[in-house]
Amino acid sequence: MLSLLVLVPLAGLMLLSLPFAAPLRNRATILAPVLPLLQIILVVLHPAGFWSGSGGLDRFCDFGLKADDLSLVMLLSIGIVVFVTLLVVGQLVEGKRQRFSFTNVLVVAMIGMNGTVLLSDVFSLYVFIEVTTVSSFVLIAFNREKSALEGAFKYIMLSAVATVLMVTSVALLLLVAHGTSFSVVREALHASSSNVLVKIAMGAFVCGLLIKGGLVPFHGWVPDAYAAAPAPVSVLLAGISTKATGIYALIRLVAHVFAGSQSLNHILLFVGVVSIVVGALAALGQRDMKRMLAYSSISQVGYIVLGLGCGTPLGIVGAVFHLFNHAVFKSLLFVNSAALEQRLGTTDMNQMGGLGSRMPFTGTTSVLASLSTAGIPPLSGFWSKLIIVVALWQAGYRAYAVVAILLSVVTLAYLLLMQRRVFFGKVPQALAQASEASFGLVVASVALAGVTVGVGVLFPWLFNTFLLPIGGIL
Amino acid sequence: MSDSVLLAFILLPAAAGAVVLGLRKTVAPAREAITLLVTLVNLALAIMVFNQNLAYTAPWGGFGWHFSLRLYQFSAFIMLAVAGFAFLVALYSWKFMRGKGAGNQFYSYLLIALAMVNGAVLANDLVVLLFFWEGLLIVQFGLIAIGREGAFRTATKAFIIVGITDLCMIFGAVLAGSLAKTLTISEIHLPLDSLASLAMLFLMIGAVSKAGAMPFHSWIPDAAVDAPLPFMAVLPASLEKLLGIYFLARITLDLFAFTPGCWLSTLLMIVGAVTIVLAVMMALVQKDYKKLLSYHAISQVGYMVLGVGTGIPAGIVGGLFHMLNNAMYKSCLFLTGGSVEKQAGTTDLSKLGGLAAKMPITFGCYIVAAVSISGVPPFNGFFSKELVYDAALERHVVYYLAALVGSFFTAASFLKLGHAAYLGKRDASHDAVKEAPVSMLVPMIVIAALCVLFGVYNSLPINHLIQPVLGHARLEGHSFAGMPANMMLTVVTIVVLGGALVNHLAGAKAAGSGLHAVDHIRYAEGLSPIYDKAEKGEFDPYNIGLRVAGVASSALWRLDRWTDWCYDTLIVGLGKSFTAGVRSAHTGNYVTYLIWSLAGAGAIIVFLMGLL
Repeated sequence: MLSLLVLVPLAGLMLLSLPFAAPLRNRATILAPVLPLLQIILVVLHPAGFWSGSGGLDRFCDFGLKADDLSLVMLLSIGIVVFVTLLVVGQLVEGKRQRFSFTNVLVVAMIGMNGTVLLSDVFSLYVFIEVTTVSSFVLIAFNREKSALEGAFKYIMLSAVATVLMVTSVALLLLVAHGTSFSVVREALHASSSNVLVKIAMGAFVCGLLIKGGLVPFHGWVPDAYAAAPAPVSVLLAGISTKATGIYALIRLVAHVFAGSQSLNHILLFVGVVSIVVGALAALGQRDMKRMLAYSSISQVGYIVLGLGCGTPLGIVGAVFHLFNHAVFKSLLFVNSAALEQRLGTTDMNQMGGLGSRMPFTGTTSVLASLSTAGIPPLSGFWSKLIIVVALWQAGYRAYAVVAILLSVVTLAYLLLMQRRVFFGKVPQALAQASEASFGLVVASVALAGVTVGVGVLFPWLFNTFLLPIGGIL
Repeated sequence: MSDSVLLAFILLPAAAGAVVLGLRKTVAPAREAITLLVTLVNLALAIMVFNQNLAYTAPWGGFGWHFSLRLYQFSAFIMLAVAGFAFLVALYSWKFMRGKGAGNQFYSYLLIALAMVNGAVLANDLVVLLFFWEGLLIVQFGLIAIGREGAFRTATKAFIIVGITDLCMIFGAVLAGSLAKTLTISEIHLPLDSLASLAMLFLMIGAVSKAGAMPFHSWIPDAAVDAPLPFMAVLPASLEKLLGIYFLARITLDLFAFTPGCWLSTLLMIVGAVTIVLAVMMALVQKDYKKLLSYHAISQVGYMVLGVGTGIPAGIVGGLFHMLNNAMYKSCLFLTGGSVEKQAGTTDLSKLGGLAAKMPITFGCYIVAAVSISGVPPFNGFFSKELVYDAALERHVVYYLAALVGSFFTAASFLKLGHAAYLGKRDASHDAVKEAPVSMLVPMIVIAALCVLFGVYNSLPINHLIQPVLGHARLEGHSFAGMPANMMLTVVTIVVLGGALVNHLAGAKAAGSGLHAVDHIRYAEGLSPIYDKAEKGEFDPYNIGLRVAGVASSALWRLDRWTDWCYDTLIVGLGKSFTAGVRSAHTGNYVTYLIWSLAGAGAIIVFLMGLL
């Protein structure tokens, strides 16, 4: 029944876009958050019939979808972030037509991401990554502002490079393996691991994914796109879309398909640590909140890749857990920035101050998210960083572990700097009338803060039951 | 008599002290009355329990501690002396403290100090002893601090010096208690192995510091100037001497198997000899009545420490007798100083002179006390000093010489003091000076009379108070009462005293005044620069300690600044320049970003192919 995760949104989308469905569109837009909510419920309650049954629709259209533990975590993250994004859309996008179109494209992105994390075929993987990316282009440029168009353009330019690299890689893999499914490619690579073509294919695909994931030095598009995109899109991009397309695929391929390439691990460790350092230092110097959060994203993705680069099950666990946590707390921070944008019309931190008293929910949840990002116990971000550092230490990459710890201090520094500029201190005259964000945004931020606190507190239980099995994909 | 009467020695003065502290100003005479009454009752009780053996024990706190008090021959003798001085000083203060500020605090602290000294003398448990010992430290702080303007610094100085030595004593007490496996003082008798020697050393530091020996002395001259005068007569001159030497004697006689040959004995004798000589040299050149006396209060401790430190019966008897004698004549001397201060309005010797005619009784008391402290026969100081000389000579001639030098300068400085204050030309402003009131004269006369009595009938204190402390076994049948056994030493002493008189007369004639009679010593070649430095306080261990602490704290401050600079400037600066570099690399130009990506991809693929 897995195909329903792709087919139901797709069918709804197509039906509602037909001319005769016009009267239903408003109600459908309001009901759209039910889709990701259902997805969350399906993952959390985990009805066996849904996840393992091959009956029903699957007999007619077999995409070869498979849901292992990694896919489940991703589906949960996708559900959470898309749900929150739809809440933000409801609050921030003006006009019924606009909102409908926006929701439509968002659902396309969701279909793309769901497909990405469920597929077991290199070529299909590429296709669904592109589905997600293209819908992201549209979403970034949705308001047709100059900066947004510029951001989208940079994203398209670099994605084009990624596309070329990935398609080339798929072609080379097809040449070597005579097939594109994960298991076939895996067997073939295992058999001919010293083949130069294989190495080029691996490198090209990984580079394509690094561009999608926005790692240094492939990150040029990230700040512009995140900062210029409409608020809900920033949440989606930073929270999940680049992670599902870039990082999830990277984890899947490196850990599962290209298993055991030592030099690949070294590349990932290096790229990861450079991303952490450059992202954090750049974030320290930003005055625009969304741009700062964008650099912070680069830095945090670096931690995920660092965990992946360990090449050990614990490292993978840490990477996936951090991916999930990042989806939660970074979405939360972007929701907070959306709340500020809603009330102040700007995200320039130099024009803010003392808003903690005016916007208590936004301020408090923002502190929680910041502390979680910086890795302060007992919030969820602490545990995932801890796992990554422990994994690095155990794998013998001690210098990387030390850098990871030191840079989390810088993380704390820029986030506290943000807190101080935005939420602490005196309220400037111009903002005296500022009030708490609208109800939908408060619900979104409180829900996300609840997740980051809850996961942190329940970590000891989650670790053994849910997280450790993820390492089994190696 | 019931054993619980011992509690009265502590509770009565302490309770009275608390009451006095809370009295309103309008009932001012009540505080004097209460103080006099309580010290009188205390004295009566001390007389009643004399020659009794009492013990009181009650469970106290946890850890197997007991609030145990013990009165026996030695402590009863000290208790009696303490009670006597407390009463006389209370009587003296009646008129002296009239019209001075902080009266309530003075009487309250005086009573509490009495309670603390009583408790410390009676204590038969190391923890109880420390409790009262430290309590006295706090009261002493209060008594100094209520003195004249600026006394707070002196109080702090005294608190720090005595506090540090008390800390040593706590360490010693813990060590001794753990070695003996009991905290009950009467059950401790440790052989002097290495650890026990350490314990004894630390306990000794506490004891000699309380007595005011060098190098823990430097707060006493400061307090002489800053604190109320009765404080000097009661604490540094008598009660603390009694307590400190009492405890020193307890350590050497009971707590440890102290023998004349051990290194601690040598150490004590060195401390004693050095204290005698250095302090008296400082006393000699003082130009203030009270300050001169305060250096003698230090110097005289040297004789006691030297005597007890010899570890032989003659020395111990001499040391304890000297403790008793010193408490008498030294408090008497301070009281004469108080009379002069009260009546003439100053204690600056350069402004005083010719008071003998105006204050004949005070002058008479001064003479008795001065000849006593100088060791002129047949006054009490002579007999105790002779015993100490005898014991010191038996150990080594150096100690004897140091004691003799001390005697010479003691006599010289009291000739100078008496000459400058009571004889010579009187300042016109002092023509109206009258004799001190009766309530101030009585204590002085009583004490001066005791000085004569204990000298002429020295068998009274020696046979009844001091020799029983040592016991028959230690004394081996000797009795030290009566005239000194060694007539040679007596002759030498008299020659030295005569020398001091000649020296004074010659000096006074040369300088033209009594005050400057010792200038030929003060400004002698070689001594003068040392005196200059000493008067600037350069040898004061407290000042040296402060300087060391100042250097250490400025070094730490610099380290702290440097650390701060690392965090605030260096790291932030490095971070800022890195951040600026990273920011300036992000131009927003997509071509740049494309080049980065392609270069990165190229590098990765090349690396994977094994070409790098």
